[in-house]
Amino acid sequence: MPDYSILVVEDEHTLRRLLEYRLGKQYDVRTASNGEEALERIAEKIPDLIISDIMMPKMDGFALQSAVQKNKETSAIPFIFLTAKADEQSRLKGMRTGVDDYITKPFDIEQLLSRVNRLLERTKVFQEQLDAKIGQDFSRRLLPKNLPDVNNYRILFHNNPREHGGGDLFDWMEAAPGTYIFTIGDVMGKGLQAKFYAFSFLGYVRSTIHAMLRSTHSPAELMNRVNQVLMDDPPMEETFASLLLVKWEPEKNLITYANAGHCRPVLVGPDGCKVVEYSDMILGLDPHAEFKDTELQLPDNTAFMAYTDGLSEQVMVTGDMAGEGGIMKAASKAFAELDPIDSLLKNILLQSKVPEFGDDILVFWLQRKGLDWFAPFPEKVDHQ
Amino acid sequence: MQVTTMTFSVEPCNQDTVIVRIGKALDFRNAAEFKSTCQTQVRSGARNFILDFSETGILDSTGLGSIFSLYRQVSPLEGQVVFASVSRPVQVVVQLTRTYKVFRQFPSVDAAKDALV
Repeated sequence: MPDYSILVVEDEHTLRRLLEYRLGKQYDVRTASNGEEALERIAEKIPDLIISDIMMPKMDGFALQSAVQKNKETSAIPFIFLTAKADEQSRLKGMRTGVDDYITKPFDIEQLLSRVNRLLERTKVFQEQLDAKIGQDFSRRLLPKNLPDVNNYRILFHNNPREHGGGDLFDWMEAAPGTYIFTIGDVMGKGLQAKFYAFSFLGYVRSTIHAMLRSTHSPAELMNRVNQVLMDDPPMEETFASLLLVKWEPEKNLITYANAGHCRPVLVGPDGCKVVEYSDMILGLDPHAEFKDTELQLPDNTAFMAYTDGLSEQVMVTGDMAGEGGIMKAASKAFAELDPIDSLLKNILLQSKVPEFGDDILVFWLQRKGLDWFAPFPEKVDHQ
Repeated sequence: MQVTTMTFSVEPCNQDTVIVRIGKALDFRNAAEFKSTCQTQVRSGARNFILDFSETGILDSTGLGSIFSLYRQVSPLEGQVVFASVSRPVQVVVQLTRTYKVFRQFPSVDAAKDALV
């Protein structure tokens, strides 16, 4: 049960205590005995819902409701009036001023509880819809609109952001003619907050890379700088991210990467997989962390595959997470398929406890084509 | 409005060292609560944290992030965050993120206590 906070405003002591007791079983309840006190409570912490009597000394319910509505921060808080049964005038006035509900005294506590529930539920649904909308917008912006198109290479990318997923990010740029830099990362956390951090973090990464390109193309040097930014800049204090920076020079079939605590990439070929092992510490934790470049000569007919932890943390039928082992097994099987990423994901889902992914999924596939790679697709022609 | 159902038990060792029992999981569901539990401890003077992972089967990236926040809070105060009785799933995460360079590991809470207190 979410920890909703409710403010009860009632001058009559017994009733106030009763409401505090009954609502307190489900919610975090605070009380006030008149409108003035209520505004003080609200200033301390904004409640998720207000239940208020109308007739009270000092400041009555109408004055409170109007003060709450005037304040932008509080104007959307659901408001329930408690009115005396006979007081039809107040009820009508309450309806006019935009009160969400009213309960006539003496009231049935169960009825009050169910109305409170319903109002909070509605607010929650509304909030979730809004979050989902903003989240989708962030996710879209965190994705590339196109991919490099280079002879003799096949580049694939798949991303499936979930509403409650994390802060996966992917980006690429052509640093110089024939030199590309790919950015694959994951900002820690879940939901909208993580997506927002990922979005701002990607901005940092992009501007850092752009600013440094004139002096270096070394992923490790870029990584050092990004880590410094995360460590030194107060707004980024709570941001931790794993990041894989990959420099790719297709003419030389050369990959140079620096890995800051990100899921280790895999080389996939016709004979199976191999982990690209070397990596350094995750970003944002240690100001003295050092990052190292590692070079890889990409063999013929081999793919360099990178992914985020949504894939490795997928829970399998065994109850364990897929991990590197599970991913490599699925990738080996998928290698020869027309759409290897799609096939890889299907293979993993087949082994999953629940047949859908629980988190964001991001897979990047950079494949050097084989010598026998001719259109339409390498097919066995033995029998001809 | 985070769903919070689990609580973390905290056991003081001495003035500036506490043991936090992580329990079965530290993940997106209870990371906020872990953070606030630790913050309360830091405010009342704790600097060194022994995290007991003996029962922990799940540590996801949000959970790990909350440990990182703690580390960034106490390291300027000369504090430490150490891991005790690290289970296999936790070990995997620590390996992947290469954070064993920052969080010292001990085979048991007692061993960690001996080293810190």
